[in-house]
Amino acid sequence: MPRRNDISSILLIGSGPIVIGQACEFDYSGNQAVRALQEEGYRVIVVNPNPATVMTTPGTADTIYMDPLESDYLEAIIAREKPDAVLATMGGQTALNLSMDLEAAGVFARHGVEVIGASIDSIRVAEDRGEFKNLVASIGLESPQSAVVGSLSEGICAKAEFGLPLIIRPSYTLGGKGGSIAHSDGEARTAIERALSESPVNTALVEESLIGWQEFELEVMRDSADNAVVVCSIENVDPMGVHTGDSITVAPIQTLSDREYQRMRTAAIEILRAVGVECGGSNVQFAFNPRDGRMVVIEMNPRVSRSSALASKATGFPIARASARLAVGYTLDEVINDITGKTVSSFEPALDYCAVKVPRFELEKFREGYASLGTQMKSVGESLALGRTFIEALNKAIRAAEIGPDGMESIHAEESELWGMVESLHPKRLFAVYTLLRSALAGGDAGSVDHVAARINEASGLHRWFLHALTDLARIEVEIAAAGERAAAGPPAAGEGDVAGEGRAAASEGDVAGEGRSAAGGDPPAGLDPALLLRAKRAGLTDRRAAILAGIQPADVAAIREGASIRPAYHFVDTCAGEFEAETPYFYSTWGEEDEGAPVGATGVLIVGSGPNRIGQGLEFDTCCTLSSLAFRRGGRKTVMVNSNPETVSTDFNVSDRLYIEPLTAEDVIHVMRNEGVRDVVVQLGGQTPLNMAQELEKAGASIVGTPVTSIHDAEDREKFSALVARLGLRQPPNRMAGTHEAVRRAAGEVGYPALLRPSFVLGGRSMTIVYSEAELDRFLETAPPFAEDRPVLVNRFLEDAFEYDVDAVCDGENVFIGGIMQHIEAAGVHSGDSACVFPPFKSDRRIETEMIAATAAIAREIGVRGFLNIQFALFEGELYVLEVNPRASRTVPFLSKTSGVDLVGAAVSVWLGRDLRVQGLVAPDGDGIGVGSCITGWAVKEAMFSFDRFTGHDPILGPEMRSTGEAIGIGADFGEAFAKATVATGVRLPREGRVFVSVHDADKRTIVPTIRELREMGFSIAATRGTAEFLFEHGIMSEVILKVHEGHPHVIDHIAAGRIDLVINTPLGRYTHSDDGHIRVETLRHRIPYTTTTSAARAAVEAIRHLREGDITPRPLP
Amino acid sequence: MHTSDTALVLADGRGFSGNSFGASPPAASELADRVHRSESALLRTVGEVVFNTAMSGYAEVLTDPSYTGQIVAMTYPHIGNYGVSDEWSECGPTGGHSGIASESPRGASPARTVSVAGFVVRELYDGPVPEGRERLDTYLSRHGVPGIMGLDTRALTLHLRRVGAQNGVIVQEPSTDRERSVAAGIAAHFPPMEGRGLLAEVGTHDPVVLPPPDNAPPGPHLALYDCGVKANIVRELHALGCTITIVPSTATAEKILATGAEAVLLSNGPGDPAVLEHQVAQARSLIGRTHLLGICLGHQILAEAAGARTGKMKFGHHGVNHPVRDEFGGRVFVTSQNHGFAVEESTLPDGMNVWFRNANDGTIEGLRDESRGIRTTQFHPESAPGPADSRWIFAAFLEGVSE
Repeated sequence: MPRRNDISSILLIGSGPIVIGQACEFDYSGNQAVRALQEEGYRVIVVNPNPATVMTTPGTADTIYMDPLESDYLEAIIAREKPDAVLATMGGQTALNLSMDLEAAGVFARHGVEVIGASIDSIRVAEDRGEFKNLVASIGLESPQSAVVGSLSEGICAKAEFGLPLIIRPSYTLGGKGGSIAHSDGEARTAIERALSESPVNTALVEESLIGWQEFELEVMRDSADNAVVVCSIENVDPMGVHTGDSITVAPIQTLSDREYQRMRTAAIEILRAVGVECGGSNVQFAFNPRDGRMVVIEMNPRVSRSSALASKATGFPIARASARLAVGYTLDEVINDITGKTVSSFEPALDYCAVKVPRFELEKFREGYASLGTQMKSVGESLALGRTFIEALNKAIRAAEIGPDGMESIHAEESELWGMVESLHPKRLFAVYTLLRSALAGGDAGSVDHVAARINEASGLHRWFLHALTDLARIEVEIAAAGERAAAGPPAAGEGDVAGEGRAAASEGDVAGEGRSAAGGDPPAGLDPALLLRAKRAGLTDRRAAILAGIQPADVAAIREGASIRPAYHFVDTCAGEFEAETPYFYSTWGEEDEGAPVGATGVLIVGSGPNRIGQGLEFDTCCTLSSLAFRRGGRKTVMVNSNPETVSTDFNVSDRLYIEPLTAEDVIHVMRNEGVRDVVVQLGGQTPLNMAQELEKAGASIVGTPVTSIHDAEDREKFSALVARLGLRQPPNRMAGTHEAVRRAAGEVGYPALLRPSFVLGGRSMTIVYSEAELDRFLETAPPFAEDRPVLVNRFLEDAFEYDVDAVCDGENVFIGGIMQHIEAAGVHSGDSACVFPPFKSDRRIETEMIAATAAIAREIGVRGFLNIQFALFEGELYVLEVNPRASRTVPFLSKTSGVDLVGAAVSVWLGRDLRVQGLVAPDGDGIGVGSCITGWAVKEAMFSFDRFTGHDPILGPEMRSTGEAIGIGADFGEAFAKATVATGVRLPREGRVFVSVHDADKRTIVPTIRELREMGFSIAATRGTAEFLFEHGIMSEVILKVHEGHPHVIDHIAAGRIDLVINTPLGRYTHSDDGHIRVETLRHRIPYTTTTSAARAAVEAIRHLREGDITPRPLP
Repeated sequence: MHTSDTALVLADGRGFSGNSFGASPPAASELADRVHRSESALLRTVGEVVFNTAMSGYAEVLTDPSYTGQIVAMTYPHIGNYGVSDEWSECGPTGGHSGIASESPRGASPARTVSVAGFVVRELYDGPVPEGRERLDTYLSRHGVPGIMGLDTRALTLHLRRVGAQNGVIVQEPSTDRERSVAAGIAAHFPPMEGRGLLAEVGTHDPVVLPPPDNAPPGPHLALYDCGVKANIVRELHALGCTITIVPSTATAEKILATGAEAVLLSNGPGDPAVLEHQVAQARSLIGRTHLLGICLGHQILAEAAGARTGKMKFGHHGVNHPVRDEFGGRVFVTSQNHGFAVEESTLPDGMNVWFRNANDGTIEGLRDESRGIRTTQFHPESAPGPADSRWIFAAFLEGVSE
């Protein structure tokens, strides 16, 4: 069927701020949909309050709103834009739920808007577990035995029927939120209660446990003519029990016979047909019991998803793009396969490689939350790697996850501990499995390996096929180690003698520094037969890993490799296993095969992406990379994108001239660079990942685009930077570097308390801590990550109660354009990524702004920045301090670009293409060479989005270590409106009336009084702890006294549980001394009560509440 | 997989080195000797090399009689993952286990249940398989078919895509260039698939009667003209309640009609349809006298019988992901395919309409002549391996027969 002509404008709903379970995959899908619909000639309106996205970049859609994804705002937007249709299947669960709300509120009917992509009825059937189960039964398929319960007693009945263990989940939540496994009566009771309270419709699903069954997922597309294809089949390496988002997965399915697979495929298509998905993509999950062949349907999502993004990257089939076309009337056979350019989309991609996804956890940040995985998703990102074999792809994907190891490696633990990990749902379970298999193999007894594999299979349900693949890897590793030992035992080559021997002793497995015997300047290194090395490379091992195993240097391995002409080969991802020629150059590497690439040549530019999402390095950086690729191409350069994150827009097949799905390590990127014959490499846009490899790339012949590597490193070197600051006559908080415990103590004494402690080379402020006393310092030293003279801790004086500012600038080496100055709303000490910020500064002081502008320009010029610069300033007791300088694009670049109306990435790329800022018109042709941007949206607030609710019992206190997973924006005519929108967009429901609980630290008491007074004036009643209440009383504010937890019942938590508290203002001081307050914050989180942990945030909340009380709903499109 | 011990050598001289699994391959010199002695055993190890893009279903591929005379390379790298079960054999009722009770004596010749001349994979799984299944390696050994693994199957595929399907041979790794050129020469001088009739090697030699199943309402009586029928065609029709009389491809039209069948199905099979004079003649004689369904080779035979011509494709369609559009109904199906020849559209006689068309390359995938009761599909509605989306074609055909 042809394109629908009865509609001309379409509203696309995004997924909002990034949270665990809903990340940049929806920017990818939304962006594809917008582009596809625009190509078809529709007017596209986007609403998504996530400023980091590509889809909200001016020029993407016809009209862009960044207002909250709430019914009232959406209705206002619909009333204004009068779209003919709404596409709700691109914005994850958020967009589906919002559409259900709008339907329920009669908004679509009132404004004559048609829901396209998936009908409201099909969404309802798919999302309502009870209805879905009936539907599955009606087409002769099986669901797990389960019951939908609306009360605890119903849940207990279900438990009696199915037995333990049970899986318990709330209805209508994303990423399995609130789901858990109950092994005992008590656990079941708690879990049911929790699920009931977390479900927006207060129902929960109680079902039989399928733990240990195999888990599969099919990505299906169906069109209005009832044509259906399975785009991708995915097998979870982790059996049932671990949320699929937290599982290591492989595409295609490996272990099902064709009969089994076809049964699943037919079932998946029948489910889409029965649910009524008529024009788009869906995923269907199955559990399969390998013992008896029983297959049960777990769930289906009638929309694009994280796994459809993964499937698109794994197969080359752009699911979202095709879905958008189906939504406007086309059928699958009318949609051309963009990869081949000639075949149609009504086919099923054939892979001739494996695509492995590895989740990335934040084990350090939420240690307590990761004791065991479960049905609730906890990973914050994922990496994808392709390889000709499963093990090659697995090794690459683990490396690409940037979690430390170069691939699958043994871990150091007692055997009993390893078995414990195998038997539980430990996040490192597969590593434990590998360790056990490898040590059994190293024992040299084949029977014992088989026995261990059988036992692992029995204990965990991990399929023998995967265990066999891991054993194959172990065999290679053991052979390399043996070869290394043999070479070491042999007679030393002439001239090497003792030196070599010493080096050899130092090289042991797990020694990441890779110190080993070097052949530099000597004979070709022995120990590694090229044939064995080729096997290792084909299994996905890095040179470094092979070197460590063999006890030689990585450079030696490279030499052996080059000597034997062992080089990577690049294959096309062509959707058809080579049957047709691919038009879109999308590549992955393998070894020992025929290379299909042709170099793009020295005129190309390689952009190093930002890798898997993690806290501190997320969507913002991918957006910068994507926009830079587009800008370079507009400027006539060919771009080569290298990235490992399947969720992103940057890994979309048509963003760059060449796309490589490869791990972001120097070794892998250098191979791409050489294969493409590219010299120019951009490292400023992907966060810390590209910067960390800049030196190695340069050593390998790269010409780093923009700011020289040495300047980048000088800016990151604290001492050199301090000297620079002094030279420019600027101020820094007193600081010292310290490499030992003693030195840290001494340094803290010298800079004075409170002191901010910051380990080197970390992102997102990992392990950053503020200590107020020596006692607190001692506690930090006990738990700090290892540091040393070459990885020291920076000890700073902490500027308490300072106001902090963020500045993003672009510099061409001489001229400087300052995109804008943003003021943090949270007080100093809260990581900039976690702090709300406002543009322009809320409390503006002309003199300080001028100082900041001058200081930014001076620093940019002194460093010799060509490209991006981000600086954090603090205003402390009337003086300006430079806190931090990052010579790269920061996470606020997309936010600032949108609100200032200046495409900062475009400006930087133009600089790199040789057009200085004066030529670009960003800096006045005559004058001081400084340009400054201004906010074109009135006021703009960026608020941090947290996923604390994923980590039961985690204290949501903010501090110098970043914890937020995403961000939301609010745009308004005044600060109150902007802050209110940003807050609403993060899902926080600020009260318009009710009771405020106040408990503030002594130092904050004076500051908080006017805020509380205003709340009183607006009619809020105030409750406070005794000390705070007395202080308020002295200042003429009456409040109800509430007991602290240790003071007896009813205490503050009882009041919260009873629903008497609507807003909590609780400011702690110090990370350790006031952990008592932690459970108050945990409790507010549980009951979804807004809380503020700083006085400035409380102040901002009051402004927002004032705006909300006016009842004004004004959507504001981006100008 | 240490140093290579086996090679796949193509007629154009290109060689791919790997390692042996399954039956041991002969040395090139041994083959040369056999050529000189004109021994027919040679036929077993040389064949046309084709690639198949299915990611599962290797057991069905191996046993599909249409692959007789071909060396099949799987493009998906991991093969053997879930073992092999005799239950999955696609070899028709005369040999092996079709899953259907047959009371007939086996054919006179020792029918092989593995059809391919050789099997080419990137990675062979040699770990434990579920109970009741056999490892692929031992299965191929048992059936005397050589396999080669560890070679660059993608390079092979791209080569075949560019230059077209051609003959090849699996031999012990030649130690000299001369030995390699001997192997290439053998492949080059081996009869090409174009012009090759292979029906003598497949199908039943004697009629076989399958009574209808007990558990389904009785359907029509079908004669199955066995040119190397896949077992799943028989299973599907049987499950629909049919009484099936399987007749050898040497039978005449009169013999076929004498079975009393209400319709005739011309099966799939190997080789070039253009040389099947006997079968085409019988088909021509059947046209207009009974309902006819042709699948794959059967489709080509019926087209030839009706006056159309067939031609060799560059590398054919071998996989389970080919989109086919129903030109009558408008829907598109993902189909299982295995053919190297196609009906040339320009030669279609009046009355023969294109029923199905490949949505990618536009080639004919099925024909229909309502007035003479002919329906054909170039693809495999019985799949095995592959999607079951077009299974309805059997029921639709039987409906037409019953009317």
